Amino acid sequence: MPAVPSFLARERTVAGPGFNRWLIPTCALAVHLCIGQVYATSVYKTALVGHFDTSLTRVGVIFSIAIVMLGLSAAVAGTWVDTNGPRAAMFTAACFWFTGFMVGAAGIGTDQLWLVYLGYGVIGGIGLGIGYISPVSTLIKWFPDRPGLATGMAIMGFGGGALIASPLSGRLMAVYDSSYDAADPSSVASGHAVMMLFLTLGAVYLCFMLFGAFTVRVPADDWKPEGWDPSQVAEKTLVTTASVSAANAIKTPQFWLLWVVLFCNVTAGIGILEQAAPMIQDFFREGDTSTVSAAAAGGFVGLLSIANMAGRFAWSSTSDVVGRKPIYMGYLGIGLATYILLATVGPSSTVLFVLFAAVILSFYGGGFATVPAYLRDLFGTFQVGAIHGRLLTAWSAAGVAGPLIVNGFLDSQGTPGELTADAYRGALFTMVGLLAVGFVANLMIRPVADRFHEPEQDGDARESAPETERSNA
Amino acid sequence: MSARVVAAWAVVGVPLVYGLVETINKASSLFTK
Repeated sequence: MPAVPSFLARERTVAGPGFNRWLIPTCALAVHLCIGQVYATSVYKTALVGHFDTSLTRVGVIFSIAIVMLGLSAAVAGTWVDTNGPRAAMFTAACFWFTGFMVGAAGIGTDQLWLVYLGYGVIGGIGLGIGYISPVSTLIKWFPDRPGLATGMAIMGFGGGALIASPLSGRLMAVYDSSYDAADPSSVASGHAVMMLFLTLGAVYLCFMLFGAFTVRVPADDWKPEGWDPSQVAEKTLVTTASVSAANAIKTPQFWLLWVVLFCNVTAGIGILEQAAPMIQDFFREGDTSTVSAAAAGGFVGLLSIANMAGRFAWSSTSDVVGRKPIYMGYLGIGLATYILLATVGPSSTVLFVLFAAVILSFYGGGFATVPAYLRDLFGTFQVGAIHGRLLTAWSAAGVAGPLIVNGFLDSQGTPGELTADAYRGALFTMVGLLAVGFVANLMIRPVADRFHEPEQDGDARESAPETERSNA
Repeated sequence: MSARVVAAWAVVGVPLVYGLVETINKASSLFTK
């Protein structure tokens, strides 16, 4: 991985005395609110289908490439991010994310879908991965007393990004295409409007992410929060004060058990997210029509987005109090019970259905937001960003498995528009099984064996030593 | 809390509140239609 220009170097970002650590979450949010746009692609999906005269599946590939690239780039660039610091990472992510939009816009403008794949999917996806992990390690170092709260705030931003981008994109496309009405579900924007939207979003996101990049600071090596006693950390079960390198972390059973936990939790959440709007209509179908209107189904999707975002902040913050392992037992155990209730009691009442789905989605968000703090507990802060990056491959895998499971079951049950609650039962109980696997995997997590710990040395020496020398413990 | 911190939170908070309000308005249709 290349070195960075001096103005981005980690040494230039060390905070001076009196720096207010509450500035750091705003930097993380500035990045995550921008890259969270990836979950708002459905706003212009139909417009792209019309513009390229192609299928929804081929347009959906843009999103799939971006999510796969997110996982891959986070895994590959994680160590580089940890070594070069958050400013270099955020700056790089901003450049990739911006370039992705620009190349994507060029693809739309010249009617070349492959260019959109390359731009938004590949280049933008690299920005997503580097951007996602860029603030994690820094936040944990600034908030050693409340890592769950800190990472919860940042990763909440990823959920919030879609809440902002979705209505904003609708309004911007209406500005660029006067015949388009964002409030009318049957209205479709022109390709030119989507191209202009890409150019606008790219420019706005570049500014926001650069604000984060040039505001962020890393704490000095000897810094700790006022009144906080680091010796208390070691007193908690599963929380280590030792350091494990990313290269060693992937050799531990704890990493792979947590990989399974994240994979199962995310797959179960995607099972609902993927199908949210048609699912609520199918659950309350009477004959050929559903008692839930298309507009109300859209409202359901919005409500799930809020539950997802709120869960990221609320559950991750709660994990600082109850501990990481117990909270995952809740995500997976209560989630499992809620899934059973959704499949059995859900069809009897819209309110109950919405409530159960919202609880499941809040656990889905909580699972994402709490995992960096769980990694910190198990492997220490040393290369937590890089380890987090490697763990995010579970997200990519779940992004493929979740829709495959749900769509596989539904395809065998009938055609869209004719399905009922019974058609979902197989998929829902498969998710219950997955959550049970995740629950057991979480139960099996124990402290990391001493042989994986880095040798004790002073902090400066460890920070500057190359990874190959550090990770042969 | 310094003015810089307040300003930084406003930079990220205002768009987030906008998104939340818009989404809550949309979600309200679930219970009204």
